[in-house]
Amino acid sequence: MTTFRAPDPVVAKVSVPFARRSGRPGGRRRTSRPEAFVFLTPWLLGAVALTVGPMVVSLYLSFTDYDMFTSPKWVGIDNFVRMFTDDDRYLQSVKVTAIYVLVSVPLKLIVSLLVAMLLNSRRGANGFYRAAFYAPSLLGASVAAALVWRALFTGGGPVNELLASLGWHTPSWIDDPKFSLASIVLLGVWQFGAPMVIFLAGLKQIPPELLESASIDGAGALRRFWHITLPMLSPVIFFNLVMEAIHAFQAFTPAFVIGGGRGGPADADLFYTLYLFEVGFQDFKMGYASAMAWVLLAVIAIVTAIVFRTARLWVFYEDAEAR
Amino acid sequence: MLAVVPFLLAGVAACGGGGAGADGEVAITFVWWGSDGRANLTKQAVDLFQQRNPKIKVQTSFSAYAAYWEKLATQTAGGNAPDVLNMDGRYLAEYGGRNVLADLNQGPGKSISLTDVNPELAATGVYQGKRYAVPWAQNTPAMIYDPAAFTAAGADPANGMTWDQFADATQKVSAASGFSVRGATDFGILDTALEIWLRQQGKQLYTPAGKLGFTADDLRRYWRLAGRFRDAKGVSPADVTSSYNTSPEQSPLGKKLTSSEFAYDNLLPAYKTASGKALSVAPYPGDASGNNGQYRRPAMFLSISARSKAQEAAAKLVDFLINDPDAGRILGTDRGLAPNLKVRAQLAQGATGNDKTLYGYESALEPKLGAAPPVPPKGAGSIQKLLQRTYEEVAFGRMSVDDAVSRFMSEAEKALT
Repeated sequence: MTTFRAPDPVVAKVSVPFARRSGRPGGRRRTSRPEAFVFLTPWLLGAVALTVGPMVVSLYLSFTDYDMFTSPKWVGIDNFVRMFTDDDRYLQSVKVTAIYVLVSVPLKLIVSLLVAMLLNSRRGANGFYRAAFYAPSLLGASVAAALVWRALFTGGGPVNELLASLGWHTPSWIDDPKFSLASIVLLGVWQFGAPMVIFLAGLKQIPPELLESASIDGAGALRRFWHITLPMLSPVIFFNLVMEAIHAFQAFTPAFVIGGGRGGPADADLFYTLYLFEVGFQDFKMGYASAMAWVLLAVIAIVTAIVFRTARLWVFYEDAEAR
Repeated sequence: MLAVVPFLLAGVAACGGGGAGADGEVAITFVWWGSDGRANLTKQAVDLFQQRNPKIKVQTSFSAYAAYWEKLATQTAGGNAPDVLNMDGRYLAEYGGRNVLADLNQGPGKSISLTDVNPELAATGVYQGKRYAVPWAQNTPAMIYDPAAFTAAGADPANGMTWDQFADATQKVSAASGFSVRGATDFGILDTALEIWLRQQGKQLYTPAGKLGFTADDLRRYWRLAGRFRDAKGVSPADVTSSYNTSPEQSPLGKKLTSSEFAYDNLLPAYKTASGKALSVAPYPGDASGNNGQYRRPAMFLSISARSKAQEAAAKLVDFLINDPDAGRILGTDRGLAPNLKVRAQLAQGATGNDKTLYGYESALEPKLGAAPPVPPKGAGSIQKLLQRTYEEVAFGRMSVDDAVSRFMSEAEKALT
């Protein structure tokens, strides 16, 4: 399920310009050396045994009725048909996940960019703040962070108290269908560290002379941001957008912990992955769960492809003219 | 993801048990669900068993209820089911019906003695003519409540109430605290409470054929009853109700947000610890005739994996846990009353504190207790969650009772096929 790992900032930084350059081998000649495969063997073994193998099996299972105890029965595309025609909870899980992706990803990118710009504008002493702002994403998908969130947003918890002192009386956020998903979105946004660090690296690469000459020409801060910072940063925004969207589709732990392991009040936190898990491991419908996993993979692939397509319209590469 | 590998390998190694060693030693694995406290007691009993059977090595592990089933399903699918396992009525058909569990009427399982177990209770481990499980403890659905709060409201649950009296009492208890601590946890979400209520009218949750034992109209009436309590603010508000979780620590009563909750009598100590209040147990409210619908419930079972290579040793452990007086003394009432009536009678004599309350409660109720309902069908594990989320739609005012009932009925039908 979680074949994607959190982006390592260093790797990410190096691979940011991957979108356009990858097709060009550059100056080096490609040579194939047999000993390379010797060094690759451990990785290949791992990839085949732990990733490719299970994926092939799950693809097969997605066309079967499989309860994990008795052998799978071939049912063709039944599982896929049932998903869209005879399963209200499936559609609810699609809705919840779509809302989460559409709301949390842009919010997270905006917040991380704002914080990165703030850190970038202060020269001294930002090592500490950078670490402090990055810390929440180290806790990342951890159960601990989600548990803390639960405690914060529960009935009579600190958030309730704070809002009540401002005159806004709210129910227990995590237990009310109106607020529950919002609390999970907030948790996602709070963990903005990874894209922030990447933004920060991107900001540092913008040549200061560009901004300088713009301000000499009389451009205000907003104009400089809009006409220089944003275009120069667009490859980084693109990268972050793709990575965060993929992560958001796969969000599981926060929903599992905050929603009490059952999709929250009245299924308000029934994330796609959570429903998949429930169907497979609690209701013993592993064939159906496998089919769901493949639909998710297809949707992520399609959404990513669409983002890549539109990238031509808004992502600016400095070396584009050089081609 | 790679970080998981060592655990997987360790799991495989741990589950490889069940084989006989060179010197006649046998290793078996034994798993259960529950808290740390329960684990300590169970391990003590297992240690005693190993002392008496030096040739048998028992490897134990335990997890919380929900995690337990996820783990067990995965292990079973991988062909690594533990030799001796803790079973629940909700999942008996699921596992038994798929030939995962050994039939204890055949082969080594026959050595497990059930002569001193109440025959009606013993029968609850039989599904489709095969004995897939033996009851490990007996409990009964009960109301856990705060006597101080109810006495102040002029009610006496211990002597039995009608639903009308209960409605009145909860409203008064709520009012006494300015409605911050409600009289009861909203019972509209609980399949246990629905089952008892149905039994009080001669119906049941599931038929022996594995279908729903009630109609849409029954459920409508049940939720209307809960609605009466909700409107009078006798029961918890919706956001407190939806925070309900089967563990006493996480439940509204445990968190002191209500003064009573429907649960099982053996959970009294856990509720007391969680709430820090002097709680007690009482029977369910009933109708005027005093029919309270309660029954001798198998709190949980022990089963043996059909694939276990050490069925004899496994059967020996099961027999020990159920019938041995010393094991009974160690295990106490944590899971419920001992299934072996002789052991139970012995323990009842020396009981103190919570144990005494429980023995007193069950022996007073004993003449009124009915036989347990048939084994719930495959898919029953998901019915509780279904009831909870459809009722939440009603409690939060997002759906009418009629719509929620029809959603429940159609989804339940799908889950049970």
